[in-house]
Amino acid sequence: MAWNEPGNNDKDPWKNKGGSNQGPPDLDDLLKDLGQKVSGVFGGKPSGSGGSGKSFSSVGIILAVIIAALVYAFSGFYTIKEAEQGIVLRFGQYAGTEDPGLRWKWTFIERIIPVDMQTTRDLPAAGFMLTQDENVVRVEMQVQYRVVDARNYVFSVTDADDSLSQSLDSALRYVVGHAAMDDILTSGRETIRQSVWEELEKIIEPYNLGLIVVDVNFKDARPPEEVKDAFDDAISAQEDEVRFLREAEAYARGIEPRARGRVKRMEQEAIAYKEQTILDAEGAVARFEKILPEYQAAPEVTRQRMYLTAMEKVYSNTSKVMVDVEGGNNMMYLPLDKIIQQQGSAPRVIPQATTGLSQAPVSTNTKPSTSGRSDRFSSGRN
Amino acid sequence: MKNFLIAILALLAVLTVSAVFVVSEGERGIVFQFKKIKRDSATGEMLVFEPGLHFKLPLVESVRKFDARIQTLDEAPDRFVTAEKKDLMVDSFVKWRIVDFSTYYLRTSGSIENAQALLKQKVNNGLRTEFGARTIKEIVSGDRDAIMSKAQESAASSQDDLGIEVIDVRIKAINLPTEVSNSIYERMRAERTAVAKEHRSQGQEQSEIIRATIDAKVTVMLATAQKEALEIRGEGDALAAKVYADSYKKDPEFFNFFRSLEAYEKSFNSKSDVMVVKPDSDFFHYLKDSAKAGK
Repeated sequence: MAWNEPGNNDKDPWKNKGGSNQGPPDLDDLLKDLGQKVSGVFGGKPSGSGGSGKSFSSVGIILAVIIAALVYAFSGFYTIKEAEQGIVLRFGQYAGTEDPGLRWKWTFIERIIPVDMQTTRDLPAAGFMLTQDENVVRVEMQVQYRVVDARNYVFSVTDADDSLSQSLDSALRYVVGHAAMDDILTSGRETIRQSVWEELEKIIEPYNLGLIVVDVNFKDARPPEEVKDAFDDAISAQEDEVRFLREAEAYARGIEPRARGRVKRMEQEAIAYKEQTILDAEGAVARFEKILPEYQAAPEVTRQRMYLTAMEKVYSNTSKVMVDVEGGNNMMYLPLDKIIQQQGSAPRVIPQATTGLSQAPVSTNTKPSTSGRSDRFSSGRN
Repeated sequence: MKNFLIAILALLAVLTVSAVFVVSEGERGIVFQFKKIKRDSATGEMLVFEPGLHFKLPLVESVRKFDARIQTLDEAPDRFVTAEKKDLMVDSFVKWRIVDFSTYYLRTSGSIENAQALLKQKVNNGLRTEFGARTIKEIVSGDRDAIMSKAQESAASSQDDLGIEVIDVRIKAINLPTEVSNSIYERMRAERTAVAKEHRSQGQEQSEIIRATIDAKVTVMLATAQKEALEIRGEGDALAAKVYADSYKKDPEFFNFFRSLEAYEKSFNSKSDVMVVKPDSDFFHYLKDSAKAGK
């Protein structure tokens, strides 16, 4: 057809074929529509005979026009959802927005683009990035945003959501690249979050995205898997530090009271010893003092009596071997160890030659046995 | 007759349709007259049609529409070499917009692919220069703004060349090659190990201090207690000695005798004490001879 000029890259100027954006109101469809209606009225139903044909066709035309008008009127109704705003394009030109509800448009002249204005959308951003101290961390963030300006959202950038996503990536890496790893992982998370938010706002400002950033969430920050064990160890080392401290404190708390107890015991024992010693002394002295006057009254007799009593006690409680030999005989053999043993089990009268192959005859009037050794055992007399 | 009417109507419709064109929001249109761009007769400026309904001469004029929105150039990450001759994979994006439609149309023959390829070369040249003069550290945490603005400057010439305005050049991601990241991981691990060691040693240090302090305290406590105990014991001993002496002074000879007997009783008091005695001691005075008189 004549108006389909070649050389325009095979595009009809008004059909806008292959354009990424919606073209103008589809006049092509209108044409077809009209054509169909026209052929429907004129050619579609040819009235049989010529006479009444004219009147019939004029009635037909009127009918067709009315029907077409009705169809057109109805085709203009549309609804905008509660959360949406409708952008109205009149001949492709922005002509304001429509609020939710039932609306009517001029079909073919106006086009409506509904835009969700209420839903809060979110975009994630995550990845490994370098910090200021040249460490690598994996940071995950999420931005929540809403459309505030439908016109800018649709017409200012080719893809507003994608632009925001890219800007977030850039902002996040910029901020992380200017922060120390420890801050990112622990204390400085809030600061990071704020900085990312500010940076993001700064980046998207010239783009006029028609979006408002509602919130930026710092979801996660952790070191890469390759070094995770070392990080975990560092954390457990902190715990260990505290544990060592607590253990030492426990030791201290355990040992000190015990020591105090021992101190008290030593003190008490010393006091008791002192008392005891003094009392012992006083007791001994008291006894002595009681006896002394009696002794002084009859020294000889008392002395003898006391001596005998004491010796009686001594001899009755010990084992004795009496050696009645004049002069030592070095052949004399006293099996002292045996004697002690036997005395240990049962008291026996010595001398008594019952057992013993070489029991030395130890009795009075036996063969004289003088020994230097036996002298040692004799009770020294002065 | 009927057919003729139809034809007329159709022709009218076609003419009407081909005499108007619509430029949508977010686009601009240029009109060509026989392939020549239509200019304003007064100023010689090229006519750029804003969104809306416009008229043109059918068959004579044709329309070309261009996207006037901000576009994004986001290519695959590219390899750059830093000052220390290390490779970096840098992912950047460029925001651009057509400002001069006729230049754009002439230089790029109107295809976005061409425009983006040309733009990419320009931006990458700028980035390459900047990256080559910086170390990794400077690139990452230094002045990223400077790199971006430099790249933007180098791309700014595209306004004259391509009719494109570069709004923004931004680095999205910098990825390290494996060998670099491995050495970074090694260093991170070493740093963490050092931190861990330090914490543990500090803990042991504190613990040792606490233990030593308390041990010393206890030792001193016990020693002090010992000293005081001995003093008390000594006092007791002294007092006892005084008591003994005061009493025994009255008859020392008798005390000796009396005390010796006591000692004998105490020392020879078990069957395992064996005494080998001669029968000529005082005790056995009468044992052999009852008639012995006196001593």
